[in-house]
Amino acid sequence: MLRNLPFILFFIFFTLSCDTDEGQNQGYEPTPVNIAVPAIFSQLLPAPEIPANNPLTEEGVALGRDLFFEKKLSADNTLSCAGCHKPNEGFSDQRRYSVGIDGIPGFRNSMPLINIAWNTKNKFNWDGSANSLQEQVLEPVVNEIEMHNTWPNVVATLENDAAYLTKFEQAFGSPTISKELAAKALSQFIRTLVSGNSKFDNYLLNQATLTPLEQQGLAVFLDENRGDCFHCHGSPSNPLWTDNDFHNNGLDENFTDLGLGDITGDPAQFGLFKSPSLRNLAFTAPYMHDGRFQTLDQVIDHYSEGLVFSSTIDPLMKTVAQGGVQLTLQDKAALKAFLLSLSDPSLANNPVYQNPN
Amino acid sequence: MFKNTIFLLLLLVSFVGCNTTNDDPQKALVSINFSHSFNQQAINSNNFNALQYINAFGTTLSSSKIRYLISEISFTNQQGIKTLVKDYQLVDVGEDTGLFIDDILLPEGTYLLSMRFGFTETTNTSNVYPDLNAASWNVPEMLGGGYHYMQMEGRFLDLNNEEFIYAYHTISAVQNPGPENTREDTSIVLNLGEITISQDQTQINVSMDIDQWFENPNLWDLNSLNGMLMGNYTAQKMMQENGQTVFSLDTSMGN
Repeated sequence: MLRNLPFILFFIFFTLSCDTDEGQNQGYEPTPVNIAVPAIFSQLLPAPEIPANNPLTEEGVALGRDLFFEKKLSADNTLSCAGCHKPNEGFSDQRRYSVGIDGIPGFRNSMPLINIAWNTKNKFNWDGSANSLQEQVLEPVVNEIEMHNTWPNVVATLENDAAYLTKFEQAFGSPTISKELAAKALSQFIRTLVSGNSKFDNYLLNQATLTPLEQQGLAVFLDENRGDCFHCHGSPSNPLWTDNDFHNNGLDENFTDLGLGDITGDPAQFGLFKSPSLRNLAFTAPYMHDGRFQTLDQVIDHYSEGLVFSSTIDPLMKTVAQGGVQLTLQDKAALKAFLLSLSDPSLANNPVYQNPN
Repeated sequence: MFKNTIFLLLLLVSFVGCNTTNDDPQKALVSINFSHSFNQQAINSNNFNALQYINAFGTTLSSSKIRYLISEISFTNQQGIKTLVKDYQLVDVGEDTGLFIDDILLPEGTYLLSMRFGFTETTNTSNVYPDLNAASWNVPEMLGGGYHYMQMEGRFLDLNNEEFIYAYHTISAVQNPGPENTREDTSIVLNLGEITISQDQTQINVSMDIDQWFENPNLWDLNSLNGMLMGNYTAQKMMQENGQTVFSLDTSMGN
């Protein structure tokens, strides 16, 4: 037994030493980089959640940015991620339904891609169909009504581009291109998309003043008997302005889109959709998962007078029997003014979020 | 080389062997499990959505969300020395999170287990817990600020046998909701009783009997008290009274 001990120890050591990605450049380390955390987030929120197996690096984020704006991800080289998640539209799409490469529209509005690094629930898309960001970014490439491509084809296309071979090597220490590494790079870039510079953020930092109308709107938002928006959409204490959870907010009596329930198969979750962040509403119309409301006024009218009961309506829709919270015209105007104070105009022009080419 | 290996192995064995001979009491690794029931029927994320639970008023109800905050989780030994094992824990039944507090290392012995439902007036301070902020657990300042104690939501059959919704939210009771509100501590101290920790008893089960929220001493009529309860001082006081008998130590579970 003891005679075998050195051999066993050597074998263990040898096995451990081989536990690295194939072809990886031993000793090479890309440059670590941190997310630019807004001051108000530092005060109120936990640190952003970065997976241990995909730390942010300068090279990885740069590659992710290239890929985010890369039309070669689509089958006919016409559509990039940014085609439906536009920086000047809150990383969303002002069309009700984005249109894929074959001219076919989708059936849900494009979700804004901001402050994803604070989505600790790790449920992505309106219906929670992706359990991680890396899983999420893979899907649009192969979706038949979006980019309509295959990952082997994407990998082959990128491998024919010498610049990408270099960028993958810089990002991950290996010139090998794979869909997994592409997803890691895209995830790194998307995690850097941070919005925390709205008028209201600056108000919380004592660097801006709300108008009386905006202050009234905040009071409506936080009043359990009027807006009662805070349970699902954050508050001055939760500047994400979403709970990252799923709700049925009284849009339909019967469901044509089952949302979360379509993924889980649970009838108790039919018609539930993820609460979107209320940041950047000035840039992200239309609203709701299916983009049915063109204006913020229509959204407010819905919660005020348009709620309908259904089997899975959220218990927080407490006034559904009356059709909604019955806001006065003054309350509605105030709420709208407050909601618009959550928009961050610096997002659209941030140079590090723009197309690098 | 081989001689040295034998010597090192013997040395290691002797250290391990000697580790039980000192006078300190042996320590046990303990975990606390939060479980939930309605009239002794176990409730978890798989079954709590079913409209099948009947409260003392006779109302049939379901749950779609149960999450609550426990703080000051402590063990007091027989010498009166209190060991705080966790400041606070957010339990979410639907998400299956916060149901366990693991890796509590305690000397074997007999303890009194205590905790608190909610926060004290001192600890219930707005914005100081980043994880609770991210969980949207806050209470607006006009309702006293700080954090929720519990959010229990679901459906019930009303007097016309039609489905309706309820949101049973507990917070620190507030009078005069608005800028001039005054807050009153309605957290609940939970003295859960004696527990003996040993190598054979390492799992502690704390049970929440949900039916008690609707029963004792205030018979709860969801037809009249089903929502907008945060700013309802009387309702908050009633919830606090009912909460006194909700939590108990379930000694039926062993290690």
